[in-house]
Amino acid sequence: MKFSTKWYYIKETFTSLKRNSLMSIASISTVALSILVLGMFLTMVLNVNNLASHLENQVQVTIYMDDSASQEQLKQMEKVLRSTEGIVKVTPRTKEEALGEFKKRLGEQQKLLAALGEDNPFPASFEIQVDQPERIPQLVAQVQQMPGVETAKFGQEVVERLFQLTRVLRLGGILLIVLLAIATLFIISNTIRITVFARRREVNIMKYVGATDWFIRWPFLLEGMLMGFVGAVIASVILFQGYNAIQAKIYGTLAFFPMLPSWPTMGYLSAGLICVGTLIGALGSSISLRKFLDV
Amino acid sequence: MLEMRHAGKVYPGGAVALEDINVHIKPGEFVFLVGPSGAGKSTFIRMISREIEPTSGQILVDGVDVMKLKRGDIPYLRRQLGIVFQDFRLLNDRTAYENVAFAMQVIEAPSYKIRKRVNEVLELVGLKDRGNNYPGEMSGGEQQRIAIARAIVNDPLLVIADEPTGNLDPETSKEIMEIFTQINSHGTTIIMATHDKTMVDYMQKRVIALENGRIVRDDRKGVYGYEV
Repeated sequence: MKFSTKWYYIKETFTSLKRNSLMSIASISTVALSILVLGMFLTMVLNVNNLASHLENQVQVTIYMDDSASQEQLKQMEKVLRSTEGIVKVTPRTKEEALGEFKKRLGEQQKLLAALGEDNPFPASFEIQVDQPERIPQLVAQVQQMPGVETAKFGQEVVERLFQLTRVLRLGGILLIVLLAIATLFIISNTIRITVFARRREVNIMKYVGATDWFIRWPFLLEGMLMGFVGAVIASVILFQGYNAIQAKIYGTLAFFPMLPSWPTMGYLSAGLICVGTLIGALGSSISLRKFLDV
Repeated sequence: MLEMRHAGKVYPGGAVALEDINVHIKPGEFVFLVGPSGAGKSTFIRMISREIEPTSGQILVDGVDVMKLKRGDIPYLRRQLGIVFQDFRLLNDRTAYENVAFAMQVIEAPSYKIRKRVNEVLELVGLKDRGNNYPGEMSGGEQQRIAIARAIVNDPLLVIADEPTGNLDPETSKEIMEIFTQINSHGTTIIMATHDKTMVDYMQKRVIALENGRIVRDDRKGVYGYEV
C-alpha cells in the first residue's frame, strides 16, 4: 500500500466524518449510550458476583470434639482434616484456648467465671475453611462420622439459601450481559448501516471507476472503528466517574457492602469496553458495506 | 478491442435481453448503439464492464475474457474503461475538480500526477475555470462534461457511454458529442448507446442497431434508421 493511499484513507475518514457530521454525532452518541448501558450492567453484575463470593467465603465450619476424645484422636483429626481435599485452612482450638477466648470476651465480668469453678465446659474444636463453599454440606456429613466428633456446625439452612441466591444472581447476570451485548451489536451496526447507506452512491461510483473492494472498505472501516472507539471512551469516562461517585456514597452509608475497588476493576472494564466498541464499529461497517460492494 | 461471441443474456425469470450477439470493434472506432427502449442497449453496455454477466457466449475486452475474471480482478478491468451515464453520477458534496481527481485516487495515482492530469482533462472538456464549483452550481451540460473528464482521466482504452445526452437539450448535446469526437480522435475507442437520431445521422459513424435483443443492422457509416 502506497503512502499516498494510506494518507488518503485517513484524510477520507476525517473528511467523511466532517461531511456527515450530524450522522457521525448521532452514531457516536448511540454507541456511547449502548456501551454505557452495557457497562453499567457489567459493573452491577461484577459487584453482585463479588458480594456473593464475599458472603460465601465467610461461611466457616466448626467441628466440636467430644470431651472424651484423647490427645491422640485430636492429633489424628487434625491430620485427616489437613489432608482432606477442598479444605484450605484448619484452625485447631484446644479446650484451654476456647476458655481463654471466652474470658477475653467477658471482659470486665470475669467473676462470672467463678461459677465454673475448676471445670472447663468448652470443647476442643477445629475451624475449617473450604475452597468451594458448595462442598460444605457433604464435608460436614463426612466429618460427623469420624471418631471423637461431637458435632459439626455451619448454619445449614442459611448457607443453602445463600448458595441458591448467588447461583440465581450469577446466572441472571450472565444472561443479562449476553442479551445486552447482542442488543448493543445490533444497535451499533444498524447505526453504521445508516451511515453507509447514506453514502451508497459514492460506493457505487467508486466501483465504476475501478476501486478495489479493500480501497472502498478501508475508510469506512476506519470510520466505524473511530466512531466505536470515541463512543466507548465517552461511555467509559461516564462509567468511571459515576462509579467513583456511587462508591463514595456507599462507603459513607453502607460501609459493610463490599464494592469492587474502582482501580483496577473499572480500568479493565473500560479497556474491555473500548476494545469491544472499536471491534463492533469495524464489524458493523464491514457487514453494512458488503451489500453495496456487490456491483 | 471489444469482441462479443454469441453473447446472450437471459434474466432470472426468463426475460431474454440479448441473444446471439456477435460484434467486433477495433481500436479507435466510434460506434453508436441504437434501438428502441428495451432492445438491450443498456444490457449490452453493462456487460462490457461486467456489471451484468452474460448467460451465454464470450465477451473479450482487449483480448481478455471478462467472464473468466475473478471478483478481485474486476476493478482492473474497469480501470481500462471510462464509463459515462445518462444521469452523470457525480458526487454532489465534492467540487468538479475533486470528482475528477477521485477516479485517480481510487487507482492510487501519486498526487503530483493527479494535479497535472486533472487540470489537463478539465481543460479538454472546457471547464478549466470551474474546478472549484460544485455539481449543484453547474448546468446539466457542464455536469456531463465533468463526468466525461472523470471517465477519461485514467486514459482508458475504451469509453462506454449509456445515453450520455439523454437529459440534455440539442445544443448542449452537440457540444458533448464534439468532446467525444475529440477524445476519439486521440485514439480512444468509444461505444455509445443513444436515442439521439439527429446526432447519429450527423456523425456518420458505425451504427449497430438492436431490436428485441438481436443485432438487426451493423453499418460502417450508418444512420439511426428509425422514425423517432
